[in-house]
Amino acid sequence: MALKEYSFTLNGKPVVVRAPPAYDLLDTLRDVLGLTGTKNGCSEGECGACTVLMNGKAVHSCLTIMEQVRGADVVTIEGLASDPESQVLLRRFAEEGAVQCGYCTPGVVMASKALLMRNPMPSAEETKEALRGNLCRCTGYSKIVKAVMKGGT
Amino acid sequence: MSLSLSDVEVDSPATLTEALQLLGRSKYRVIAGGTDVLIRMRTGPIPNEKLLNIYQLDELRYIRSDGERLRIGSLTCIADIAASPEIRRFALPLAQAGDEFGSMQLTNKATIGGNLANASPSGDCIPPLYSLDAVLTVASAGGKREIPVKDFFRGYKKLDMRPEELITEISFRKMAGDEYGQYLRHTLRLGEAISVVGVSMCLKKGPTRDEYVAARIALGAVAPTVMRAPKSEEIVTQGTLDEARMRDASKAVLESISPITDVRGTGEYRREMAVNLTYRGLREIQARGRGGT
Repeated sequence: MALKEYSFTLNGKPVVVRAPPAYDLLDTLRDVLGLTGTKNGCSEGECGACTVLMNGKAVHSCLTIMEQVRGADVVTIEGLASDPESQVLLRRFAEEGAVQCGYCTPGVVMASKALLMRNPMPSAEETKEALRGNLCRCTGYSKIVKAVMKGGT
Repeated sequence: MSLSLSDVEVDSPATLTEALQLLGRSKYRVIAGGTDVLIRMRTGPIPNEKLLNIYQLDELRYIRSDGERLRIGSLTCIADIAASPEIRRFALPLAQAGDEFGSMQLTNKATIGGNLANASPSGDCIPPLYSLDAVLTVASAGGKREIPVKDFFRGYKKLDMRPEELITEISFRKMAGDEYGQYLRHTLRLGEAISVVGVSMCLKKGPTRDEYVAARIALGAVAPTVMRAPKSEEIVTQGTLDEARMRDASKAVLESISPITDVRGTGEYRREMAVNLTYRGLREIQARGRGGT
């Protein structure tokens, strides 16, 4: 396999990574960069576990190839964990018990972050709409919705 | 099980001109948002082909008002289509298809041109574009040509497009104040789902109550391509659109469709849902046509 070099911004810092061009961002994050917070649930854009922010928008990292990441600004769950403002959101997930097995949680949090960036006080309907692409098999969603509706970014 | 794409070569041209030159020189599979192409490449046998990644061609991302027409660049993502006040005002069925299309992760990436080129009979943008009588612009290194959307789809996954061509623009006449549109789809669940049936319609109001003088009705996921329903359109415009006429026009869609049975529903179920959705669309437009909203 031929590797190419890709420069982009990851969690606020410039990175250069060597990867095959059709490698997806998810595999690159996990296997090349060692950032395993972003999860692989389905590899086909159905479950939302691989959600990251690319240029401020939530996208499936499993359906984004490295050639599309060149020069982009990517934020993963690790980026939120080290951002004081986003820690409020993470704490609310913990307080509300919006986490059970935890596998979907990074993707749910990233989708919630994308919602809160444009709408800091979403209604239940707006929250459900924004999270329609994130599957969770444990929580039944209501605690997730509660956590997100507490607002903040 | 999903296949690794680590041996696939990718070219990422910086401009449309460069993209068309590359397409003229060698064989590629085009990737825009990637939300259909990557899934297909991972689950099927991979023919020995290169990818032409056009996602970075920002010159194909626009929604432009041009006199009586709206022009949409083919790489405009579905989220931008759903968020556009101009599309909502002048092409309501297309905005509604954008609302229904899928999750924000999907619609931030998926493009209108990709939805057309993927050519699925259940593609949500396609019935609205039939009912808007849209025209596609297709370009190659040799030049451009325009194709009415209804002539673009020639059969199941068969397009009037050569391997060296790209869809660059979708345009249509803006709906006027006396035209009413509606897109409805039926899915097996509310979140991420592929349409079992989709119906789009644009009706032009006449001067008297419940009178409509023109209609374009198109159905998705009920035939190898999206289909217009000429018999229904005729019935809608033949007289006052009362309850009986709405029922007749809805039933008449059955003359135009030939749905298959698959995991999402039987042919019989699709036939019934196509009639019901058409009826609901007509009812919705009848109510709005009376209220003047």
